[in-house]
Amino acid sequence: MKLPVVRIQRFCMHDGPGIRTTVFLKGCPLRCKWCHNPEMQKIEQEMFYTPSKCIHCRMCMICKNNAHVFTSQGHFYDRSKCRLCGNCAAMCPGKALETVCRMMDLDEIILEVMQDAAFYGKNGGITISGGEPMMHPVETIALLKAAKEKNLNTAIETSGYFDKEFLPVLCKYTDTFLWDFKDSDNARHIENTGVSNEQIIENLLIADKLKANIILRCILINTINFTKDHIKEIAALYKKLNHCTKVKFFSYHPMGSSKLERLGCSNNGKTEWMVSEKDINWAKSEFLRNLEAE
Amino acid sequence: MEFFTAYKEPRPVRLPEMTRTFAYESLHYKYGRDTWENQAVSLDHIPNFDQLSTLEKYNAAIFEIASNAPIRVCENELISGAATLGAAIKHMVPATYNGKLLFDSVSHLTLGFDNVLKFGVNDIKKRINKSLSNQTNKKNIETLKSMLHCINCLEIWHGRYIEALSRSKKYAGNLKNLQNVPFQPATSFYEAVQSLWFTFAFTRLCGNWPGIGRIDAMLGPYLKKDLAQGIITIQQAREVLAHFFIKGCEWVRGGDYEGGDAQHYQNIILSGVDENGEDITNEVTYLVLDIIEELGISDFPITVRVNKNTEITLLKRMAEVIRHGGGIVAVYNEDLILDALTDFGYDLKEARTFANDGCWEMQIPGKTCFSYAPFDALKLLQDATLAGYDKNKTCFDTYEGLYQKFLEDLKEAVENIYKECSYDSEYWNLRAETPCSVVSLFTEECIERGLSYFDGGAKYYVISPHIGGLPDVVNSLYAIRRLVFEEKKVTFPGFMDILKNNWEGYEPLRQYVLNHYEYFGNDNDEVDRIAVQLLDDFSDICQSLNGRSIILYPAGVSTFGRQIQWAPERMASPHGRKKGDVLAGNLSPTPGTDLKGATAVIKSYCKANMKKLVSGAALDINLFPTTVYDNEGIEAIIGLIQGFVKLGGFFMQLDVVDNNILKQAQVHPENFPTLSVRVSGWNARFVTLNKEWQDMIIQRVSKENA
Repeated sequence: MKLPVVRIQRFCMHDGPGIRTTVFLKGCPLRCKWCHNPEMQKIEQEMFYTPSKCIHCRMCMICKNNAHVFTSQGHFYDRSKCRLCGNCAAMCPGKALETVCRMMDLDEIILEVMQDAAFYGKNGGITISGGEPMMHPVETIALLKAAKEKNLNTAIETSGYFDKEFLPVLCKYTDTFLWDFKDSDNARHIENTGVSNEQIIENLLIADKLKANIILRCILINTINFTKDHIKEIAALYKKLNHCTKVKFFSYHPMGSSKLERLGCSNNGKTEWMVSEKDINWAKSEFLRNLEAE
Repeated sequence: MEFFTAYKEPRPVRLPEMTRTFAYESLHYKYGRDTWENQAVSLDHIPNFDQLSTLEKYNAAIFEIASNAPIRVCENELISGAATLGAAIKHMVPATYNGKLLFDSVSHLTLGFDNVLKFGVNDIKKRINKSLSNQTNKKNIETLKSMLHCINCLEIWHGRYIEALSRSKKYAGNLKNLQNVPFQPATSFYEAVQSLWFTFAFTRLCGNWPGIGRIDAMLGPYLKKDLAQGIITIQQAREVLAHFFIKGCEWVRGGDYEGGDAQHYQNIILSGVDENGEDITNEVTYLVLDIIEELGISDFPITVRVNKNTEITLLKRMAEVIRHGGGIVAVYNEDLILDALTDFGYDLKEARTFANDGCWEMQIPGKTCFSYAPFDALKLLQDATLAGYDKNKTCFDTYEGLYQKFLEDLKEAVENIYKECSYDSEYWNLRAETPCSVVSLFTEECIERGLSYFDGGAKYYVISPHIGGLPDVVNSLYAIRRLVFEEKKVTFPGFMDILKNNWEGYEPLRQYVLNHYEYFGNDNDEVDRIAVQLLDDFSDICQSLNGRSIILYPAGVSTFGRQIQWAPERMASPHGRKKGDVLAGNLSPTPGTDLKGATAVIKSYCKANMKKLVSGAALDINLFPTTVYDNEGIEAIIGLIQGFVKLGGFFMQLDVVDNNILKQAQVHPENFPTLSVRVSGWNARFVTLNKEWQDMIIQRVSKENA
């Protein structure tokens, strides 16, 4: 069983309790306008090209499809001709060209995650993130199961948008859900993420019934969902949950922008979307105020 | 009045406003500048000074210092005594003749201050007199008489403070507390702190830079007793102890000195087991952490002895202090170090008392005369093994052949250290002539043997060969093995030419080597195995020197800051480094090559058999402030420490640094006067480091901040 792994990041502190290793998987059913990991949206292989790293050595001209052309103007990478075979990336000395993901066996992933076993202690362990890990439900659940067999603490970072049939078995092998809740206004949700939030909320309530340990992660995006009403709705949703231990607010960050450019896409991130530390604190107190309201 | 922190929240407030103000002013150089202005006392008035023997000159210098060094009683201080002469900050006995400083002083040791607290200086005097009655050798008698003379000088200096304190009723408490110590045994916690400070300050005033050692082991029993009897509250005790740390900020320098202003080896050790293996952690352990957390004083670098049984409460307190930045609290893996010391031959009980030389090198405190002999292994590889990349003088058909030749060169380098520093060598004999009676007083057996600290009085004489440049050598060997012998992308002579020409015309190959290989610090067994083997072979070579004379030769790994001077002199390196590029410090990865974060770095480092590196091997870990935010941050630091101990590391210095802040401090030093960073075995106020050292710190942390 294989999974498209974009990155395995060790020493992660904010992806669940303790020191964790986070496995980022490729593929996501959502198309959030503010996506922090745009290279993990498409399930298929993609190519990063970073012009600033190109030293014009022309090693990439190994390409049989002539996707790489050098003129007096410099290096042109024609993505329409690229078959994503990765031959040029393997040759590129400065890693100006890099394939976004590689297919890894579950055993291989577990082996790499176990590298930091000495640091996990009681709380730390593996977090599966992406993209949406549940784009690969069978493999992701198998990976969580394999991690549990190694006595690792398991967490999954999810948009909550997946087939609810998987929830019982997913909950069985997942110690912590880092559940993204992007917007309470469904029209806005559809407009900005491409999907409805109904499935997400339904899944969340089912998971809660299954006694899943949930941390709600709420992104705040100025001019989109940074509103009193949204915070109020988050509080209302939280009240319905019996096993949600924490609600975390965090700001949109333009970290996806440079990655979009490296994927050959136009960068549509807006700096005005960012909210300040002060705004986050306002959201926290507003949330608490709403909780105490009734 | 805020004390600098790298954390998002301010440091906690526990101490009274008056003490906080005292700390704030001290940290902002109020007393440091004053010390710098009075450099030394003069010996010019002494008749026929030229005709005096070296020891007589030294005796005269100590007398003059004790009699005439400025007395300083700070507003509201709770303990008294001050090392007020600037030349001492330059590691010299602060006394001049015809405008010249005469004597170098002593560092790289922790003195036996515990005996002063327990038995008093009068007991030392008694022991000297007793020893004198047994001695017949003229030199021994003179040595002992010089020690007695130094005690007389301490009495003179003490008398001057008693007099100064009696002038104002305000200091009646200080006066009473200083009356009997350090001559009599301390009878209370307050007296014990004063006794320790006064003795330490006197040795410093005379130019020496001793470490403090296990402060909680020394002071804890006094506090326990006083608390039980209701003589003192924990708040009062914290305040008294805080004054010890505040007074320790009296030495600053800057501008003219590359290594910064706080590197006077006044190191402190916390926690760990006593001679019988019992945990000594006590109230003082936690008070020290409270004080550092609140005031951020970095002048006394602290290392906590952590073992597999260390309480989580202590680890949590360490983490809470560490995340404020400043690099003040480091970690020893006690279990491993005790194994290392006993394997080396120290008795277990004695090993359990271990402290350091004021930096991080292991030693038995109060009994050891220590020095270390550093060398750069990268220079050895480039200049000797690879003959300056002259393809006509060097060629290897296999990696094994290359490694064997490097080992031979390494062996020769270590043998040269032995020749240059051995017993009866010129170095040895010259050093034996250096007068050091102030230090001999607090070194066990000097008195009974009638010999000085440098001249056979100490129980242990240690010269530790310290290998530097090791990660760069490992990376170089690995790159050659991959590129030349495995992938055969280039021939050996061809590669020599490329390196000799500083990669000129071979940028694609250089980029390939830089980006397609994983180097030391990424938890990659293939490359880490070279480090393991090399350290194993190096420690075996050092071990072979033991038993040849009274000198012990424990192996160690360090560069401290030497890599800064080395960098411009080294040629290009096989792992893609160009001439002049930054080099690795200590046993930490070459800056820019560690791509997998702190845990991978720790793992690479810990693969070596640290038990054989008896002197020690330092690992520098720098974390970005947001990494250690909130409870997750505390958990992260605790996890790193526990992992480090579990995996068999030796010494780790954790700092929390934001490169943007460091860069701002370079441009506007005036805004960051107290911003502290861990340099190596010491901390420094960042703005007092020169540009090269500041850049080294920035380059070191750049990866995590990228």
